[in-house]
Amino acid sequence: MAPNVLYTSCVLGAIGIYLLLRPGPRALKPVGVLLGLGALGWVFKASAEALTGDGNGPTFFFYVFSGIAIAAAVRMITHHRPVYAALYFVMVVISSAALFLLLEAEFLAFALVIVYAGAILITYLFVLMLAQQAPEPGNEDAQPDYDVLPREPAAAATVGFIMLALLSDTVFMGAPEIQPGTVPVTATPENIEQVGVALIADFPVSLELAGVILLMAMYGAVVLARRQIELSEASR
Amino acid sequence: MTSLTLSHFLFTSAVLFVIGVIGFVTRRNMIVMFLCTELMFQGAAIAMIAFSRFHGDLSGQVFVIFILTIAAAEAALALALVVLLFRRRETLSAEAWSELGEP
Repeated sequence: MAPNVLYTSCVLGAIGIYLLLRPGPRALKPVGVLLGLGALGWVFKASAEALTGDGNGPTFFFYVFSGIAIAAAVRMITHHRPVYAALYFVMVVISSAALFLLLEAEFLAFALVIVYAGAILITYLFVLMLAQQAPEPGNEDAQPDYDVLPREPAAAATVGFIMLALLSDTVFMGAPEIQPGTVPVTATPENIEQVGVALIADFPVSLELAGVILLMAMYGAVVLARRQIELSEASR
Repeated sequence: MTSLTLSHFLFTSAVLFVIGVIGFVTRRNMIVMFLCTELMFQGAAIAMIAFSRFHGDLSGQVFVIFILTIAAAEAALALALVVLLFRRRETLSAEAWSELGEP
């Protein structure tokens, strides 16, 4: 794929994200959406021309799910209400679980939905409930300043897309003949059994360390929560 | 449409990672900043699963289990700290703590 296509679409994507991020007139937001979608579609179409293969794998589902993931991610970083940002992140998690299913990692697709969307994001939503500022009496729909105004969106979009251009440079132009490897899926045990055997057989020490990390996180959370209670009792 | 290659998945993972970076640098709400780090984790996880499928080796999938573990531990501790910081200053803005940096 010609490098101009990738770099131009990165520039268009940067302009699109900047228009979506900045706290200005809402009239330019659809332009940002169109620029972002156009840049993404251009890259995918150009990649379809440059990379040919033998047709294994359902490519239509890949485009749908990665399009949903990227669109939900952009909406997550630009929405002015943090609860909506958490819900758009749930959409990102579900569509990346679908991408895992395309890559034949069924156990991890379900583990991702259960752990991420079911536990971590519920924790985030609880904390968002607890850390709400009381709205001012006259103006109850106004969001606090730090939610509405982003911090230097132009510099962030520029630097981000320079990083994306460098990352995808090596992806698309380094090895155009990469094909997914063929894993024999007929005579082998199911994915969850294979992952379990690999976890215990190849990574026993990491498994123990992961347990220790979780224990330390639990200790840390208990200590942090406890100190707050002691402070409020001491102030009485 | 042609077949899927490794590059498609790596591009998606790179885009998700970069969007997470832009969101982390831009937003000032501390909880949304931590949500953007979780988005970066998602990008890395997609890249690992793609490579694991590409090489036929299950180590990538096992490592994503560890990513989930680390993300859960980090989310618990980060949110505990954010709640404590919120109770100090009554605001979720990261700029309320900007004097902790260099002058």
